[in-house]
Amino acid sequence: MASAEAAVRATANPIRILGRSALAAVRMVGAVGVFALRGALAALTPPWFLSQLWRQIVAIGFFSLPVVGLTAVFTGAALALNIFTGGGRFNAEQVMPQIVALGITRELGPVLAALMLAGRVSAAIAAEIGAMRATEQIDAMRTLSTDPFRYLVGPRLLAGVLMLPLLTAVADTIGVAGGWLVATRVLNFSPEIYIRNTLDFLQSWDVVSGLIKAAVFGFIVALMGCYHGYNAKGGARGVGRATTHAVVSSAILIFASDYLLTTFFTHTAP
Amino acid sequence: MTDAIPKLAWKGVTKRFEGRTVLDGLDLSVAPGKSLVIIGGSGQGKSVTIKTALGLMRPEAGKIELDGKNVVGLPDGARRKLFSRVGVLFQGAALFDSLTIWENVAFRLINADGVPRKEARERAIEALEQVRLAPAVADRYPSELSGGMQKRAGLARAVVAQPEILFFDEPTTGLDPITAAAINQLISDQVRRLGSTAVSITHDLASAQTIGDEIAMLHDGKIIWRGPARELRMTDNPYVRQFVEGRAAGPIGA
Amino acid sequence: MGVVVLALAAGFLTYSLSVGGVHSKRGNYEISAKFGEAGSLAPGAAVSVAGVKVGTVSQVTLEPKTYLAIAKLSIDPTVKLPADSTAKITSDGLLGGAHIAIAPGASLEDLKPGGEIENTQGAVDIFGLIGSVIRPQGGGSGDTTASSSSPAPATPATQPAESY
Repeated sequence: MASAEAAVRATANPIRILGRSALAAVRMVGAVGVFALRGALAALTPPWFLSQLWRQIVAIGFFSLPVVGLTAVFTGAALALNIFTGGGRFNAEQVMPQIVALGITRELGPVLAALMLAGRVSAAIAAEIGAMRATEQIDAMRTLSTDPFRYLVGPRLLAGVLMLPLLTAVADTIGVAGGWLVATRVLNFSPEIYIRNTLDFLQSWDVVSGLIKAAVFGFIVALMGCYHGYNAKGGARGVGRATTHAVVSSAILIFASDYLLTTFFTHTAP
Repeated sequence: MTDAIPKLAWKGVTKRFEGRTVLDGLDLSVAPGKSLVIIGGSGQGKSVTIKTALGLMRPEAGKIELDGKNVVGLPDGARRKLFSRVGVLFQGAALFDSLTIWENVAFRLINADGVPRKEARERAIEALEQVRLAPAVADRYPSELSGGMQKRAGLARAVVAQPEILFFDEPTTGLDPITAAAINQLISDQVRRLGSTAVSITHDLASAQTIGDEIAMLHDGKIIWRGPARELRMTDNPYVRQFVEGRAAGPIGA
Repeated sequence: MGVVVLALAAGFLTYSLSVGGVHSKRGNYEISAKFGEAGSLAPGAAVSVAGVKVGTVSQVTLEPKTYLAIAKLSIDPTVKLPADSTAKITSDGLLGGAHIAIAPGASLEDLKPGGEIENTQGAVDIFGLIGSVIRPQGGGSGDTTASSSSPAPATPATQPAESY
């Protein structure tokens, strides 16, 4: 009798663990979804806290420029070298400028800028809001008749959506410039031909699809920072955990949505 | 017991956290204009009592009545109106790190009441003077202030809009005896000046007797003793006696 | 620092647009030229007269029947070319980019839009030349020098991949 019971319990345990994890995952997706909707509503409907929005725009947009610029120039340069090598296997080195431009505007510009922001901005937001949560500042804000979603979350979401496309545009420009530098100084391309080939080849949809991706990524980066910070539990360790989760979940969601968006754009390109 | 409706009342409030019952059918009330102090051991649920009353936490069962009307589960808009009638001093003062002291004190005025910045700053400096902080402090940041000064700024922030009810969560915890005494005096001055109802929680007996008109002791999620402040040391209740005398042995398991 | 990045980006963008801007498609008229050997001539390459850029190569394709390379040239509308002008594929140096140099003829008539330059000279194959000097094999090695004064079919030459 006892051994039969023990046997049942032994087989049920892994199933219970699996079930519990699955339920927890679904619950988390739901929680994030609800949070995102509340945040979006707070961002899009009045009253707005414009001074907070401006602060976030400067923090997320302007102060991320150095990191994005550095990422872009090195990526563009390295990409140019690699595409040149690949093109050489087909005797098609001349198409390197075009391929580099396409790769940067459609994929690397938005994704790499978003990843750098995931590390920088998402972590900072999670840490700041998590620390506020740990020191009861969020509770205090509510007792001061101010909705933390309108004061904290909304401005950050809006700043993310608005600033990442602009940062991506800068990344695109500097990335192409990086490729151009390598091409003209190391690979002996003609400077004017490189640029003219690039400009003639690029279609506006190449750039625009990248900017749309950037807006989605910007929302993700800000959302993960706000969500994990807002729900941080347990003091300093909780804040540290929230920061890590924010960065990791931002990165994963960026890659997943990048694939989905790229598929969508490839099939529905104008 | 008077016939008047209590300003704030907990009726049968139950709150559970992950299987642990923190508040177990709590019954408590405060008369208007009176100051109630809740004492109890650490981790007994004193903070939870205040947070459920504020609506920052939602009880599993029971009612919380403000001026006779149940406020559990209020929708956001009504809740915000409720908040405009209360002032709260949190345990670590909970000042906003990225704002100056005067912006902290005037936070409600600027962001919720639409008061212009110039006027809000003047009112904030007045409130700071009430808690004996010099106007020079107004432009500093919370991280530049000592713990005692932060608590005073937090107190100023709580009273600046002249609320009907004040909540104090461990106002003197972590302060040296002199600063603690100063804070206690400020609190009782402010409560008297505003004529507000006050609910404080503390495990500092000196504080309790300075601030409170009435004292209630919380243990195992229930109120096990309640009486006027002067009766605290005279009662026979064994739990109260152990707490007052600071003994490790007794009915309260350490 | 952010200002520096913005300035660099803006600078490069302005430079690019000014370089690419000469290639404004508005108003340019198109003429064509056929070559026996296009070499590394690619779209975007410059078209110049007396060393001054007057247009760009917009397209390089293969004519299926004659196996000639047809280059479409987009020319500045203010520049008129005599009908008997010569087009030559040349490069700035051994390793420079290929572009087209037009030597104006003496005809009183000008090339109309859609017209074709009859006299062309294709790209010079440096390595083929060197090879034929090192290993002289008469005319049977495929006559790699593709200089022709009329669009006649020429044997395609093998190009080393690195000629640019």
